[in-house]
Order: sequence, then structure tokens, then C-alpha cells
Amino acid sequence: MALSAQDKILYVANKLGLSSLGQMQGSTGAVYDVDTDVSGQIFSSASRHQNPGVTNVTQNEFEVNEALLVENIAFYVRDNSGNVRNFQQVYGSNAVIVFDLVIGNKRVMKDTPVFGSGSPYTFANVATATVNDGAEGTAPGVLPRHQVFMEGAGILIPPQVQWYVDYRVFNIVTGSSIFISSASAIGCYLFGTRVLLNFNTTI
Amino acid sequence: MSQVGKLGYVDSKLGAPSSGQQTTRILFNTIEVPGITSSLSFFKNFQGLTNGQTNLTQNKLDSMESMVIKTIWLAQYNSSGALNTFGTDLQQTLSIIVGNQTVVKNLPIQFNQGQNGQAFDRLHENAAVVVDTLTSETATYQRCIPVEIRLLTDIVIPPQVAFEVRVESNSANYGTGAVVCALSGYGKIFSAGSSF
Repeated sequence: MALSAQDKILYVANKLGLSSLGQMQGSTGAVYDVDTDVSGQIFSSASRHQNPGVTNVTQNEFEVNEALLVENIAFYVRDNSGNVRNFQQVYGSNAVIVFDLVIGNKRVMKDTPVFGSGSPYTFANVATATVNDGAEGTAPGVLPRHQVFMEGAGILIPPQVQWYVDYRVFNIVTGSSIFISSASAIGCYLFGTRVLLNFNTTI
Repeated sequence: MSQVGKLGYVDSKLGAPSSGQQTTRILFNTIEVPGITSSLSFFKNFQGLTNGQTNLTQNKLDSMESMVIKTIWLAQYNSSGALNTFGTDLQQTLSIIVGNQTVVKNLPIQFNQGQNGQAFDRLHENAAVVVDTLTSETATYQRCIPVEIRLLTDIVIPPQVAFEVRVESNSANYGTGAVVCALSGYGKIFSAGSSF
């Protein structure tokens, strides 16, 4: 039988000596941030960002007895007005994000591509929106998805350990780097099973 | 057997290291200016490719790395960066060779793309159907999606064994942009732990 998300959290917690994590509130959650500085790193500057306009975390580490089992990583673009936009629509089908996920001092996702034209696992345009090319009555184009659905049971970000996403954007046809404008900054969310601090009857 | 169990089983059979960071792994490789050809060989040539065109430097994984392939992904771009249907509408077959063994043999890909395709899996819906025949595609106006085939069995690429993805056709036109193949699945990457 496959390892469940809860089993994986408890397994890692046990390895790290986090004996009380299993008594906390299990939940579903996501964290997001945008690289507004165009530094090539997402989440590492989250403490300076507007909440919730740019990010929903106050720093790039969880507090005591909180954790996230990352099961889905997605990328998007945030424009100057704060709107969420589709990566392909802004940077093109030929753009590819190559990213690492770093937890503590360990790289847990290595040189992983997210294709502008739509990533593996995202299965065609199921559940994606379509965009009209502007002229009324014409057929819509495709807005592909830019996600990585984690195989296995996901990867745990434990409490009080910093994490960030390192990324670069290339043109996959020519191989050259693509200039990222701060007006169309790259954002990322990590979604999965969440552990929330639960005091029970302590306070 | 789960993919995690299968990878552990094969690694132990081969005497490969079982330690390492377990993760989701996507390997990709690009062929520039493919033109009209009967055979494409991905993961064979790495010369001149940048980190945006491949994430390997040779046609094998490192000594401490291995992976299970779950999905094969193929895309064709024109020189302006617009996504096109892969090899137009011609029938094409795909084979994966690991070491000296063919592990996926002549798998047809055309059914999972194109306007006449009947995708193998129920989730795939209308893969690569051109949704707008009135407007020309551009890099930021995409009319179709890449080809993707989800494998039913777990195919393992062990450490340090050469592998290759071969697409064969009767002179399909892959254009003057680039074609890309990605192999996606579950894998292990080297982790020194407390060794260093």
C-alpha cells in the first residue's frame, strides 16, 4: 500500500525527533510568494512582502509544530497591478522555468523544468481556462498549466527550517535566458497537506 | 508494487545505492532545428545545449541517482517559439532504450495528440486539438498543448546506464524550431547526508 501523506509527515517528524507533530491539527494548505526583486529566488524575501497581495507567509520558515507536505508546486506571473496571470500568456510557450526547491541546506528538487507550453502531469487542458484572442465570436486559445505534481507522498518542509525556490527562465528553442521584468514577476505556490499548531487545552 | 517499491527493488537487484533524496524528477532534452526526418533521438546529443534546453550533461544518470519514468512528454516549437502539433498529423512511434534493452517498443504517440486523436487515458481529453483554426499561433497565443502519454508500468532508469528516446516516422516535418522530450516520474538524487 502506498504511503499516505499523514504517514510521510509522521515518518519524517520521527526521524527529526519532532515527537509532538503528530498531535497537531492536520489540514490542507498552500504558501505563495513572488520574486518581486527578480533575484532568482522565491520565498527567501517573503518577510518584506505585502500580505496577502504578494505572499501569505511572514517568513520562509514555519513556526514550531507547523509543517507542509509539498504535493504540488505551481508557477504563475504577478503583474504590476497585483493580478495573477498565466506564465505562458506573458512569457510564451517557448519559455521554460528550471527550478530547485531547497529546504534547509538540502536541494530536494533538482533542475526541474516547468514548460511554458504546459507541464507533464497537467493532462491537456482539463480544468484550465481558455483565453479569447480579443475578437468577439472567435474561438479561444489554450492557457496551459505550469505545475509539478509530486510523485510518491510529497516532500515535507519541517517546522523552523528555511525553504526557498531557486529558478531561472530560458527560451527552450534558442537556449538563451529570458529577461524577467519586475512588472511581470514570477510567483510560486507550494500546496499540500498542512500541519497547524494546536495547543489543545494548554492555553 | 508501488513506484517507490519498484525503484528500491531494481536498485537492490543491481546493487545500486538505496540512499539519497527521494523526489519528483523530470529529465528533458531538446533537438534544435530537427527539420524533416524519419528518426529523432532524444537524450543522445548534449553538445551546444544550455541549461534551458536540457538538465543532463550525458545520456545517463549519476552514480547515486535513479528514477522511475511515469510520463513521456513531447513538444514541437517553431522558430518563433509557438507550440505546434508534434510531427504534424503523421503516425509516429516512440521507443525507450535503457542500456541494451528496449523497455518501451514502438508506442504510437499520434493518438494522444492531433485533431483526430483518441487518447489512451480517460483524463487526457482533447490533447493537442487545435482550438482556434482562425488565428495563427504565436508564442503567447497557444492553440494546442503538448503530447503526453502516461505509462501503465513503472520503467526504471538505473544509475550510470545509458538511455535514449527514439521517435520514428515516415519523414515527419518537425520544423525549424526545436523539439523537446521530457521523461517525468519519481527518482532519487544524490544526497551526501552527514558524509561531507
